[in-house]
Amino acid sequence: MNALGVVIAVVTVAFVAAAGVYVTAWIDLVLARAVAGLEMRPLDALIAPLRWAAATALKARSTTERPDAEAWALAPALLAALAAVGLAAVPLAPGLLAADVANGIVLFGAAMALVVVAVFLQGWSPNSPLPMIGGYRFIAQGLSYEIPLAVVLIAAALPARSLAIAPIVTSQEHLWNVVRQPLGLPLYLMAGLGLAFWGPLALPEGQDLAGGSSLETSGVSLVLWRAAQLLVLVAVAAMGAAVFLGGWLGPLLPGAAWMILKTVFLLVPLIATRHFVARVPTERYVIVSWAILIPLSLLDVFAAGIQALVAAR
Amino acid sequence: MILNITFWAFSALAVFSGWRVFRADSMVRAAYWLLVSFAAVGIILVLLKAEFLGLILILMMGGEMTIMAVFMVAFMMNPAGLNPMTMVHRHRIAIVAGVVSFLAIAALGLFARFPVARAPVGVDPTRRLGVELLGDSMLVFQSAGVTLLAAMIAAIAISSARGRYGDADEGSVEPTQLVPAADAGETAEGTQPIVGGRQ
Repeated sequence: MNALGVVIAVVTVAFVAAAGVYVTAWIDLVLARAVAGLEMRPLDALIAPLRWAAATALKARSTTERPDAEAWALAPALLAALAAVGLAAVPLAPGLLAADVANGIVLFGAAMALVVVAVFLQGWSPNSPLPMIGGYRFIAQGLSYEIPLAVVLIAAALPARSLAIAPIVTSQEHLWNVVRQPLGLPLYLMAGLGLAFWGPLALPEGQDLAGGSSLETSGVSLVLWRAAQLLVLVAVAAMGAAVFLGGWLGPLLPGAAWMILKTVFLLVPLIATRHFVARVPTERYVIVSWAILIPLSLLDVFAAGIQALVAAR
Repeated sequence: MILNITFWAFSALAVFSGWRVFRADSMVRAAYWLLVSFAAVGIILVLLKAEFLGLILILMMGGEMTIMAVFMVAFMMNPAGLNPMTMVHRHRIAIVAGVVSFLAIAALGLFARFPVARAPVGVDPTRRLGVELLGDSMLVFQSAGVTLLAAMIAAIAISSARGRYGDADEGSVEPTQLVPAADAGETAEGTQPIVGGRQ
């Protein structure tokens, strides 16, 4: 283990994460204004996310009666760290990858599985009813998206016969997984929306709970919480681009450029759901997930397994 | 150097958080201290080159501890799980059992002869461990795993989508609890009694 290498990797991930969060906030803002039919000067759109962050961070922090202060402070940091680990597992170009592990898909899955803990703690620790309902809601939501997420990722890893991300990318040289496994990407994106509690699946923070799990959060914690949520979206889009859209593979442009383009290509529709799709009731989401999405994802992995067996002949 | 520091730091974290589990005054805190302990052990496994095992341990425990916390809170008197409670009962037995098991493990660590043979380079530890643990029974275990998974999903799909007395998202009511249509009279639509029988 090389100390300098570790430092460089951490700094790079932090930089990429910050850039990703900023771009995501900007896309969301542009979409929101466009949907509302508001005019906006380009410079304003570039500054607005930073202005919001500065204004929110400078506000006095409110607190509740007897909160679990440590867990409350930890939750946004935990979410940001998990999203950063997920992002670190994604290779930007051949060999250009912060967390070069043999089980990259499992690392990503482990980080994403702990997102439930972060959101639950965020809702539970303020000792306040609406956030707590949001936290408990997210557990039901987590149990519903986690299985399709894990299963479609396993299916995508099957043709590569490897759990590392780089072989999964190179295994798509002739045919991208989005074509080879048509169920994979839609199921992955739906699970990703649940993971980032975004748009139609913003159930723990729904308006019916007046903001839910982050209702009582304010100041720097709220800024970090929003940034971490956006970072989860970025990590989901980046992993989707690597695993389903052939990652860095592409003509003319350098690999990293293709990777960024494909990530943004997935990021835009993910962000847009917040402005075009209504929020789904929790019960309906849980039922649809268990009765339809999980069987479909199992179908996906069985089909991928049969394909892999046939290819091995 | 970095490896050693990391190992000792996460070992200390595993022991410390294990101790905090029993000092926590709420089920949720106890469950998550236990998760911290498991995650630290998972990272030690990664350091020991058992990368897959370590990561899978963290992956599984993340969901597991959350579910455990929810069940514990659901079965407890204070539903929020924030009121103080104690994790330690029957102190005398607990102390004796703790000391005896600590001594047993410490004795094992001090006196057992561990193999010193270095593993050959390029060995896949996950594969070797799987073969070592399951051997010829691999196919049986894999089939049992898939069967169990299918059974679990079927059970949950059956219970969540349509209960015996109606859709789960509409609030299932046993037929005998329902007001017969003729008796309902002035009862407005959608105000069926949930408990209390005929009225």
